Amino acid sequence: MRITIPHLGNVYLAVKILFDSLGIDYIIPPLNSKEALRLGSKYSPEEICLPFKLMVGNYIASVESGADTVLLVGSCGPCRFGEYSELQMRILKQLGHNIEFIIMDPVSSIGLNELFKRVRKVGSTSKKSALSKMGSIFLAFTAMKLIDEIEAAAHTIAGYETNPGEAKGLLSSCKKEVFKCSDPIKAVNILKQYSNRLKAITVDYTKKPLKIAVIGEIYTVIEPFSNLYIEDILMDMKVSTTRKLTPTWWVKDMLLKTIKLNSRELLNASNEFLPLYIGGHARECIGEAVLAAKEQMDGAIQIFPMGCMPEIVSKSILPSVTQKKKLPILSLVVDEMTGEAGYRTRIEAFLDLLERRREHVRIRC
Amino acid sequence: MYALGVDVGSVSTNIVLVDNSGNVVEKLYIRTKGRPMEAVRSGLAVLKEKYDDRQIQSVGVTGSGRMIAAIQIGADIAKNEITAHAVAAIQMDPEVKTVVEIGGQDSKIIIIRNGIVTDFAMNTVCAAGTGSFLDRQAERLEIPIEQFGDYALEAAVPVRIAGRCAVFAESDMIHKQQLGYAAFDIIGGLCEALVRNYLSNVAKGKELLPKVLFQGGVAANKGIHKAFENELQLPVFVPPHYDVMGAIGAAILAREKLEREKKKTMFKGFSVSDAEFKSRSFICSGCPNRCEVVCVLENQKAIGYFGDRCGKYNNRSFSSPAVYV
Repeated sequence: MRITIPHLGNVYLAVKILFDSLGIDYIIPPLNSKEALRLGSKYSPEEICLPFKLMVGNYIASVESGADTVLLVGSCGPCRFGEYSELQMRILKQLGHNIEFIIMDPVSSIGLNELFKRVRKVGSTSKKSALSKMGSIFLAFTAMKLIDEIEAAAHTIAGYETNPGEAKGLLSSCKKEVFKCSDPIKAVNILKQYSNRLKAITVDYTKKPLKIAVIGEIYTVIEPFSNLYIEDILMDMKVSTTRKLTPTWWVKDMLLKTIKLNSRELLNASNEFLPLYIGGHARECIGEAVLAAKEQMDGAIQIFPMGCMPEIVSKSILPSVTQKKKLPILSLVVDEMTGEAGYRTRIEAFLDLLERRREHVRIRC
Repeated sequence: MYALGVDVGSVSTNIVLVDNSGNVVEKLYIRTKGRPMEAVRSGLAVLKEKYDDRQIQSVGVTGSGRMIAAIQIGADIAKNEITAHAVAAIQMDPEVKTVVEIGGQDSKIIIIRNGIVTDFAMNTVCAAGTGSFLDRQAERLEIPIEQFGDYALEAAVPVRIAGRCAVFAESDMIHKQQLGYAAFDIIGGLCEALVRNYLSNVAKGKELLPKVLFQGGVAANKGIHKAFENELQLPVFVPPHYDVMGAIGAAILAREKLEREKKKTMFKGFSVSDAEFKSRSFICSGCPNRCEVVCVLENQKAIGYFGDRCGKYNNRSFSSPAVYV
């Protein structure tokens, strides 16, 4: 069994550490690129959302390198993500690939027994003892947490660093080094080193950079290729960004969902505007916007793939958040376009708006 | 002394010269035709006949082709077209509260309160209802685009056209035309459909208060203008230089920036119009990102790069990143 996964931001690094540690054979597809998009949109239904297409592109690249099993998370949910796995299975079958799918659906939908059965299916190819398997999972989760922390720190520091570009440089060399390392323990140590190096960057907290929250649909906020590397663009523009939705957040959310204790803060914050669950992460998106206002961010950027139902709903609610909480919000819709000019125009204009608005507020006070 | 403003848009490239008291003394409207550098070059060639390099005090560029134009002519500032349009509108009319701008491939709404941009929106993934779509319909019906609006005003009973998507709008138009509806009524219906689409898509959730300015190339279309007034129940004003507002804004911003920073212009001079500009693109194989890198060549010499994420090529660009702030 040779397992592959679709890309989602830096998850591949943690998965690599997990499989290296378990001794399971795996293939990580090449990072998302125009090639993945080309392959994905060739074989996917035309009207499906962007994440689906990129994922199909990932599978096909992996299958060509010899993968025979896809490991993927599911949702059985009321947005299209719930249909992803079923449709993707069919597409690969029609293309003549005999691929097995192992889907980690939420416990609430498939029950604990079924989930354990699926986890065992993955684990069965590992020769490690049950205890050391637990250790591997713990190690991978630690790695995921570290990567998310490193990324978040770099995004925040970018607005304050004395030598512009330092945080971005560290972040990109960190990913490269970890990916090259096939010893899981060493890989985690590399992460720890980078985490410390980031903390050691000289910063000037007297600077007043624009602070922006990146909110919206989970795949497109996390996967940089799908959002045209918005966080990198904002780092280059010396903006300090935060994002609450991360792979670590997702894992915690999934686990806590079973006892209904997941992301209380976000959901409570969304109550004023959207008290009902409507699928996807619409409530989280609204909650994030409300919290961004509370945390005195200058603005928020909402990103979602074209046709994303939950986010269309939140997009139409966000103007009321803007009005009531005095938080400017820019909505960006991503699809198959890779031309950046129009995208940059919107971001730059939004930054201009925030800057002028801030100056204005200062004058009035 | 003049400030040069260049707006490299998808359909047209507009060049203006603004004098010290803010008057537009020269205004060029050139079709971009997919070759932005050639459009800029030919525009500067026209100005070269009349003006001297020393008369140019500052240079600002805007529009979707601003990056490439900044490198080509040596700009002091490269600003996004939303800010440029807003700045020009506020300068033209300090009372403005809403700017409706429809260009070649973009439509925007800019909300201004007390001379400050407080909100804006742009069309998302679809360019239905923008200039290039109207151009195409005019061409298909063999009506000069300049007269398109007059045709709409003649409409007795505007036909209902689906305005949500350019492709659907076109098929809807063809179906109605094949049923024998008059061209006037179809064009009138199209204008209404585009305005409806604009208001429910781009302007959704925005508070449109008077005074409303309508600018961008499409503002020349009287049919759309009238449809806006009907739909909004407000007078909509088209400023005298509605077609080059972006370029005017860029010129103003460039002048302000140089005055603030007390610097000299980076303008390379009108001789730029004699140089040969080319670009070539390649895929960088340095990492799995596989960026499409574009290299701009002036007389076979590389003067700038775009498109790489890591800065491997970008940092070799002629113009400093300070231009983009």
